[in-house]
Amino acid sequence: MNPSLASTPPRQACAECDVYRAAQLKKLGVNVETWDFVVALAGNPNTGKSTVFNALTGLRQHTGNWPGKTVARAEGGFEYRDQRYKLVDLPGTYSLLSTSLDEQIARDFLLFGRPDVCVVVADATRLERNLNLALQVLEITDRAVLCLNLIDEAGRRGITVDDRQLSRDLGVPVVPCAARQGQGLPELLAAVAEVADGRRLCRPHRLSQEPPALQSALRELVAQIESTYPDLPNARWVALRLLGGDEHVAQALRSGELAELYTRTQPPAASK
Amino acid sequence: MNTSPAHPAADRILQSARQLRERLSGDLHEQVVEAIYADAARLAGRSVASPGQGALPTWERAVDRFVTSRIWGFPIMLALFTLMFWLTISGANVPSGLLSDLFIGRIYPVLSEGAIRLGTPWWLKGVVVDGMYLATAWVVSVMLPPMAIFFPLFTLLEDLGYLPRVAFNLDLPFKKAGAHGKQAMSTMMGFGCNAAGVIATRIIDSPRERLIAILTNNFALCNGRWPTQFLMATLFVGSLVPAHLAGLASAGAVTAVAALGVLITFAVAWGLSRTVLKGQVSTFSLELPPYRPPQIWRTLYTSLIDRTLFVLWRAVVFALPAGAVIWISANLSVGGTSLAEHLIGWLDPVGVVLGLNGVILLAYIVAIPANEIVIPTVLMLTVLSARLSGVGEGAGVMFELESPASLKQVLETGGWTALTGINLMLFSLLHNPCSTTIYTIYKETGSVKWTAVATLLPVVLGFLITFLVALCWRGW
Amino acid sequence: MNGMADGLVIAGGMVLLALLCWPRHGLVGRWLAARRLARRVRREDAIKHILKREVNGAEATVDGLAGHLQMPTRQVLGLLEDLEHRGLISFEGGRLHLRSAGRDLALHLIRAHRLWESYLSEETGVAEVQWHRQAERKEHLLTPQEADALAARLGHPTLDPHGDVIPAPGQPVPGDVGLPLNAADVNQPLRITHVEDEPPAVYAQLTAQGIRPGMRGLLIEKLPHRLRFWVDGNEHVLAPLVAHNISVETITDCAPQDLLDEEYLSGLDQGQRGKVLGLSPACRGPERRRLLDLGFVPGTEVFAEMKSPGGDPTAYRVRGALIALRKEQAGLVRISSLRPATP
Repeated sequence: MNPSLASTPPRQACAECDVYRAAQLKKLGVNVETWDFVVALAGNPNTGKSTVFNALTGLRQHTGNWPGKTVARAEGGFEYRDQRYKLVDLPGTYSLLSTSLDEQIARDFLLFGRPDVCVVVADATRLERNLNLALQVLEITDRAVLCLNLIDEAGRRGITVDDRQLSRDLGVPVVPCAARQGQGLPELLAAVAEVADGRRLCRPHRLSQEPPALQSALRELVAQIESTYPDLPNARWVALRLLGGDEHVAQALRSGELAELYTRTQPPAASK
Repeated sequence: MNTSPAHPAADRILQSARQLRERLSGDLHEQVVEAIYADAARLAGRSVASPGQGALPTWERAVDRFVTSRIWGFPIMLALFTLMFWLTISGANVPSGLLSDLFIGRIYPVLSEGAIRLGTPWWLKGVVVDGMYLATAWVVSVMLPPMAIFFPLFTLLEDLGYLPRVAFNLDLPFKKAGAHGKQAMSTMMGFGCNAAGVIATRIIDSPRERLIAILTNNFALCNGRWPTQFLMATLFVGSLVPAHLAGLASAGAVTAVAALGVLITFAVAWGLSRTVLKGQVSTFSLELPPYRPPQIWRTLYTSLIDRTLFVLWRAVVFALPAGAVIWISANLSVGGTSLAEHLIGWLDPVGVVLGLNGVILLAYIVAIPANEIVIPTVLMLTVLSARLSGVGEGAGVMFELESPASLKQVLETGGWTALTGINLMLFSLLHNPCSTTIYTIYKETGSVKWTAVATLLPVVLGFLITFLVALCWRGW
Repeated sequence: MNGMADGLVIAGGMVLLALLCWPRHGLVGRWLAARRLARRVRREDAIKHILKREVNGAEATVDGLAGHLQMPTRQVLGLLEDLEHRGLISFEGGRLHLRSAGRDLALHLIRAHRLWESYLSEETGVAEVQWHRQAERKEHLLTPQEADALAARLGHPTLDPHGDVIPAPGQPVPGDVGLPLNAADVNQPLRITHVEDEPPAVYAQLTAQGIRPGMRGLLIEKLPHRLRFWVDGNEHVLAPLVAHNISVETITDCAPQDLLDEEYLSGLDQGQRGKVLGLSPACRGPERRRLLDLGFVPGTEVFAEMKSPGGDPTAYRVRGALIALRKEQAGLVRISSLRPATP
């Protein structure tokens, strides 16, 4: 009856076991092929992410948003200019670095699910805090759109956000929205479509403030990864995860799964 | 997944990652988070212009101070929840009556007669119409209206941003019991429906505290058990005191049982967190989101679809077979007496020791699917086992009586005393969760062990407490 | 009648015999297995002791070993003979030496012990005083493969919760760093490098006082019978014997006054403002990561917005969001307060 409930993983018992991971990964592969583009929706809790999800999917599917947060991935679809999009609502998280289940779901989908576009919903009234997550997403994927939600609320509080400056700095489209009122959604859709079909190329901002010792270690490892896997768009992030001892990413590298992800299917930008 | 080193290049990379890691000092996670926040602050500084400290509307701060203040915090909370429960209980009466009139008063006779006219065998008609249909109709008409009122109200408070403040206000007592303040919300939800309450524990992101919330949710008296409480309080507690105090006494008794549930929640949480759950991970974090005007229509839609219909659907799925079982047990005869009577006979000694009786125990066994059908089942079984004539609709057919006086008369003929009434109230609080909730607990924990604990713990407590009460009552 | 009684006795006897002698699962089998394990544990503890003495530049003696294992010297001699027989140690010139097999075994034990302590501290809620005791048992049960899998799962940690290096497979284990607190100078900024977890009673006392590796502090006063130790915002009075279990190193990047001025978020009153300096080393595992992700990173401004009616938790405004922390958590965030407050 409720798809988001049916797919809820048993939370403590099985979240770590390999069968569960494998099942999750396989499932994604099958689903992705039935749509023209897959769009992931990421964001902090309480940023109106579910509102954006509902506004875009037109309530064709309810979000299964139980109090507080979306724990399971909710999926919905929409069509825009004759292209069909699958929208995947990721759990609302503050970060993607931790080992908690919802962060792992979000992280794995961005890496292994390879969405064509990732829309990061940010609260315009608390941009600095929300950029924390946005910057992490930009480390993983180079195809993103920042949805600057609650821009009306920010206006009421006298906060102005220079979205063009922010777009230049982040290297991805930034669209001010008030999803609740439906404001800015056409622009958001246009930006998503442009990034999805490769008309707009993103040059995402990459982090630069790490301590020098970490930076030099990263440089060394990134060089090695890039020479082995030239197609990998997120070598820096992979290097960071490997340094941090993320066994999941190490396993994907060892088995060749990571390399396959980015060589098997060419990004649409290259094929057109 | 192939774990053998099929990719020597990958192995080289992992090797150097290991070497580089050993050379790094300090916490990597910490350095990365600091770097990201530094970047975020720099980027935000370049594009955001804000009037500084005035960025927060003063009304929001004022409201926050008010709803969490030392003096007003708890009274506001109490008033809001009383209002919510009052709206639910009083608002549900009329639609409940209408539904029951429709399903049981109108459709049931039509179905019954239709089945006879079609020449359906009596046993098939009995199982399907008297058993399955009637049980389901009962569950739907009793369960749907209160949930359709309670869940949207609850969701509105949640969307407004008030519920996190409740968790904030109530965290201290929960912390002392080793639980999380957010459990206040899942417990509150449990007063509506335990299955929904168990799902609501998802907002608790600390594994230990979430497990505690799941295991103790059943101690929140769900709306399927309120009718039993009211009925027993009116019939048996109200009659213990002078007539003009009867209303007050019975209301007090129901409140006392609900409060006992909350007390047991804390006690069990305290015990669990210090014994079996000692080794589980525990963290605390609670964000108090800004207040947002709720989207009324959206809320109505999602809470109806997600919560109400979902819970109702599961209840119906479990009520159908239960109805069949009840009818069959009342009509299947072994050696001249029905199966139900045999079972009642076997259960009676145990029931009497607990200050209950065999009818109640059997009703709770067959009513595992839904607490709503306990009272009609008890009535039907009492009439059956006491061999009363002229009351009820026949063996295996659930019914309710309009007047409390005649109801009490039927029960007293069945051997009920004030002790039976009071212990039924206690047992209704302290028994296994309904099958919908048990299934939900299994889905949420993914563990047979914890599901078993959640199921058996309340039953054991129930037996213990009713036994002690019976002991005191009889000694006194 | 008689025949039946005889039958019962015989059947009972057979059941009893099976219970006792069933291979592996019978009482005798279990008892033998437990004895074997106990002997192995004693051997392995001896090997570990010898290695620990060695890396700290001391020599393991029979008497020292007897004291450590709490065994009569005569039994220790038998044990050492056994170890030599197994090719784990050798006597050369009357001194105990580890052979390579013994060294490998001892290194694995230390690695397994420290990994298990890391696991307990990172991924479970087991109380800190229990870590050492549980790891002491577990180190004998983990195989090297299991230890590697555990290391991978934990993200290959390099330090255990006591601040000790977790040796990588095949790597030597470094000796303890730093000097005992008793040897430090008064008023010299220090960093705790190690808190010795033996004897357990002393370790439990230090843990209860909240003294952990990574914390910074200084000696306020040093008297023959007691030391006044200022660490992470609190003063502790320690007996010299207890202080000996704390190893410290001197630090130069801060002045004594900075350490004495340190404050904690829990001390911030409603309506006051502070700036985060960092998280205390006592804040570990998921708790630490969560606080960091919520924005409690150095340099962040924090405003104590409101207290719950019971006085705990307190809601702090951090980077635009209102986050409630419990008192114990706020006590893990080092801050410098920004007074006077501007509400």
